[in-house]
Amino acid sequence: MRSFYAAMRGLLHAVLLGLLGAGIVHIAVLLLVPEFSERDAWSRLSMASDLYKMTRLDAEAGGAPVVKSVDPLFYATACRFDLGEGMVRVKAPGHVPFWSVSVYDRSGHNIYSFNDHTATGGVLDAVVLTPAQMIDVRKDLPEDLQRAIFVEAPMEEGIFVIRAFVPDSSWKPIVSHFFEQSSCELQDF
Amino acid sequence: MLKTAFLTLFSLAIAIVGGGGSVWYALKVQDGVGAIRIGQWTAFPDIGTPSADPYSKARVAREGVLALGRAEGLSFVAERDAAGAELKRECTYTIEGGFPTARFWTLYAADQSLSVVETGKSRLAALQSYGVVRQADNSVIISAGHHPMPGNWLLTDGFGRMYFVLTFYDTPIASSTGLSDVSLPHIVKVGCDA
Repeated sequence: MRSFYAAMRGLLHAVLLGLLGAGIVHIAVLLLVPEFSERDAWSRLSMASDLYKMTRLDAEAGGAPVVKSVDPLFYATACRFDLGEGMVRVKAPGHVPFWSVSVYDRSGHNIYSFNDHTATGGVLDAVVLTPAQMIDVRKDLPEDLQRAIFVEAPMEEGIFVIRAFVPDSSWKPIVSHFFEQSSCELQDF
Repeated sequence: MLKTAFLTLFSLAIAIVGGGGSVWYALKVQDGVGAIRIGQWTAFPDIGTPSADPYSKARVAREGVLALGRAEGLSFVAERDAAGAELKRECTYTIEGGFPTARFWTLYAADQSLSVVETGKSRLAALQSYGVVRQADNSVIISAGHHPMPGNWLLTDGFGRMYFVLTFYDTPIASSTGLSDVSLPHIVKVGCDA
């Protein structure tokens, strides 16, 4: 009888220890998921295209959508950039009913966002740069950058996403054209 | 000796299976940490921001989400109707009420992965605020179902679970202070195809 109690106490001890361990594993796994995920937006985009290349995120361009759960009444396009190589300039001439922009860091966090009401004349012209590059640019602002929106982002790798509203199917060619004309390039300074 | 080894293995098994499984479960359920519930609608205003909780961060990394920014908009997801029953693709629903201030909104019927329901027709399972008929008091009545209906008709198709995704673009409610007194439309079940 005594040995039975001893065995039960041992088992109880093991279960409690296991639950404590489960808590530790839970926290560890949770914090490690973002580090080791191969399914995050950056990894998906890098499989689809190179740096500084606009890639459509919606399924309309053919094939499965690169990034999931894009609003069906929206088109979206994205390019990856590396501020370590220099600042990046994104332009999209033309007018659509609504566009909005988000800048994400390497792990997919939204760092900055704005929409067409923020831009001068509703034209998308933005520069993403680090605070150090901003200091250099401020010293002598080039003529053609004066109307651009400057996004200061304290990071290196990031993703630039443009979303545009497609109210109905008659707008599809116009919005597609808007994206085809968009550019994402390394800006010399 | 054998007993000690067994107990050690037993503890380790509980720790690994319990820890891993609980993370998997926490990331799978729609209603997670950091959610804001208004009626039947759930939103994660902090998702995708650097200030998000670890659960939202893990969900973003695992699903490859690029969440809408504050200046873009805010998405609400509904998985149950006003009576608390799960939304079904074979049922007809009425979505009725006032919508908070925004430049415009979109509403679509979604499947489990929150992508739009395939209707097999040229009509999308989506509506937007520029294309809806409004009542005299500016509220909107939307009928969602398989069969054409007068007024605002949101086409759905198929069988199984369904979600409604309501997104407000360029809206003051995306800032957290604006969320306190927002009211969203009600989802009422009308009937189901047998």
